[in-house]
Amino acid sequence: MLRRGPRPRLLRYLAYLGPGLVAANAGNDAGGIATYSSIGASYGYSLLWALVLITISLALVQEMAARMGAVTGKGFSELVREQFGVRVTAFLMLTLLVANGGLIVSEFVGIGAAAELFGVSHYIVVPMMALLVWWLVTRGSYERVEKVFLALTLVFFAYPVAAILAHPDWLTVGKQLVSPSVRLSANYLTLFIAMVGTTITPYMQLYIQSATAEKGADTSPKEAKVDAYSGAIFSDVIAGFIIVATGATLFVAHERIETAADAARALQPLAGRYAGIIFGIGLFGASMLAAAVLPLATSYTVTEAFGFEKGVSRTFREAPVFLGLFTFLIFLGAVLAILPGINVIRLLVFTQVLNGLVLPIVLVSILRLASDPAVMGSHRNGPIYNAVAWVTVVGVAVLSSAYLVMTVLSWW
Amino acid sequence: MFFLSQVLGRPIRDMHGERIATVRDLIVRIDDKPYPTVTGLVARQGRRQFFIKASQISSLDESGAELSTTRLNLERFSRRENEVLLSKHVLDRQLIDVDGRRVIRVNDLQLAPSPSGYRVIAVDVSPHGLLRRLGVRRLGTPGPLLDWADVEYFASDAPAVRLKVSHERLSRLHPTDIARLVESVSYQKGAEILESLDVETAADAMEEVSDERQASLVGGMDEERAADIIERMAPDDAADLLADLDEEKQRDLLRLMEAEASLDVEELLAYPEDSAGGLMTPNYVPALPNMTVEQAIEHARALPYEPELVYYFYVVDSLEEEQPVLLGIASLRDMIFAGLSRRMDEVMTREFYHASSETSSDEVARVIGEYNLLALPVLSEDGRLLGIVTVDDVMERLLPVPWRQRLPRLFR
Repeated sequence: MLRRGPRPRLLRYLAYLGPGLVAANAGNDAGGIATYSSIGASYGYSLLWALVLITISLALVQEMAARMGAVTGKGFSELVREQFGVRVTAFLMLTLLVANGGLIVSEFVGIGAAAELFGVSHYIVVPMMALLVWWLVTRGSYERVEKVFLALTLVFFAYPVAAILAHPDWLTVGKQLVSPSVRLSANYLTLFIAMVGTTITPYMQLYIQSATAEKGADTSPKEAKVDAYSGAIFSDVIAGFIIVATGATLFVAHERIETAADAARALQPLAGRYAGIIFGIGLFGASMLAAAVLPLATSYTVTEAFGFEKGVSRTFREAPVFLGLFTFLIFLGAVLAILPGINVIRLLVFTQVLNGLVLPIVLVSILRLASDPAVMGSHRNGPIYNAVAWVTVVGVAVLSSAYLVMTVLSWW
Repeated sequence: MFFLSQVLGRPIRDMHGERIATVRDLIVRIDDKPYPTVTGLVARQGRRQFFIKASQISSLDESGAELSTTRLNLERFSRRENEVLLSKHVLDRQLIDVDGRRVIRVNDLQLAPSPSGYRVIAVDVSPHGLLRRLGVRRLGTPGPLLDWADVEYFASDAPAVRLKVSHERLSRLHPTDIARLVESVSYQKGAEILESLDVETAADAMEEVSDERQASLVGGMDEERAADIIERMAPDDAADLLADLDEEKQRDLLRLMEAEASLDVEELLAYPEDSAGGLMTPNYVPALPNMTVEQAIEHARALPYEPELVYYFYVVDSLEEEQPVLLGIASLRDMIFAGLSRRMDEVMTREFYHASSETSSDEVARVIGEYNLLALPVLSEDGRLLGIVTVDDVMERLLPVPWRQRLPRLFR
């Protein structure tokens, strides 16, 4: 009788694979690809073991954020405001604003780098794309175009294929995955922490929590877990293949990565002389995707925390703070990305420092909220889970403080 | 008059002016009176917290609290029914601004003395309030405040307290506005709003809520109550809602619903969602060919259900049969101009457009739009009347989709 009725099980499970997958894969953006490529080129496979640990941490953190969304139906900034008050909220939002602002700059740098791969000046492309992103989002045609950008990033699936075609020594790859090795060099540590920073970015947690909350009681905490875990694993498998692909080509050939064109050479075993084009397409798609979503998510989070009118369906008169912030972030990102005289690499490094610093703050807030019975009831973290999560937080915090100290020292 | 943020953390002095503790929080009673009265305060002395009754407070303002006694009853604080803590449960939380038809966040609260004690009189939602909380002192004149009598508090913000909050004032709003409020808060709060309204209003509002949200709202609601609401929704809307739930939930709700309503809905569930069968409602106005116009109207008045559309009378061969043969349709206009004593078979038109249960909803929309109809009958192959599709159910397909509704829900 109930012919229409419930959707088939498999389809339902696929539907859960939403926010987690999107959030975690946002880590494979311009900054992410640059970092993974540099790691592969500089150290071969020797940091793969760290990626395994980072993946476990990412899965844990994403799961907590998703569970909070599913249980409370509230976004991160909403919970922070209600539980920690105005001062903590203001501090957290300010740091998030600056950290995400830096990320937005790096996305426009990515767009510019992709343009240069095609031989077009980034002075032309970056302002044009900034206008396009602003126009698409505020005019509401973004959703249709989003799929195009998402489709463009699919070319990064070329990495697993390229990795296999490069005939890496799989035995070494396997060994490096499970055997931790640490080198005490500044560059090694810097890349290590950059990898943590780019793989676990605070805005991923904001995104997954809001998106899961939006789905409401439809998502049980168990389903949120499936989503968060699979998202983390999937995106880091791609990251791993980027490292292997560059490790098997650039590292073996003792070549360093200075530009996007260098990084693209990791795809040569697959694409030959089209490697640059393939890489450029992917970089462009990933950067455009993030250049739209990041300003949107940032403005949304900040205005939500302070109770201003929000949403892209509002007019400037109705939601001046939200739309003003959104416009400002895109403008600033595009301008800083092409301003002559600004050291882009220094700026990107600074961005990662900021994200690394914000991360422990956000993680501690998430942990405190997720283990608070008043917020989470019976779904709060258990003692073992909490212990593992705290180890992660402390580990990340120590690493990012070390990174900060090193960065500051290197300025002298 | 003073603000809550100005009292918190201020000293509490006894009748000799000696500082004995600081103000930790204020306790108010929320009941059917328009303004909540302060029933006491939570004091903090070192690490200890204790309770001071309102009757012992002689004055309360920006400079702190002054007591009318030196004897302190150091009893531990325990909340009584209908009591909430202003700082813990109201500040930074969401309220409904009934007249503004929006959800707001509390930046600060204004209190004032009255003959019956101190009362909360207004809510500050302005940036002024935020800055005051952040410790910015010189602010000039505060922005306009919201009268507490015009806002509604969410009981779910004070869990563990048995709080009876009626959202009766919301019933004044249009169901579409209620639906918009329900969608702009977490699904638990949305469920709270719907549960507190009378069933009729709740059903009307639920019909206006987006499909994705409906499922999570029902998930957050008491099942009995959810069944009551679904029962009173138009059967076609109810079928759409139930179709989005999982099998178990669907069966439970159908079992809890009244037999008649659940049968109607179950029948509709058998048709695909975007066909005439999925859109139609069995609640039309039937009449017999030998009835006079007057008798037909009398009969319509006595129908056990509320017809969705009264403009068309469907003349059928039998009133007993579930699926009678449709002989003709009489519009109210025909009936009014024909006069009360004419027989229905003289008034009705035998030529009418109709759909079959498999007709696509786009086709139904096209016919309704092209021939300016208000409803289209759905007939089985042997000419039996299964139900009617009303124009409001295909309206969305007739209008160009406004861009606002195409946006991803998360940022709308």
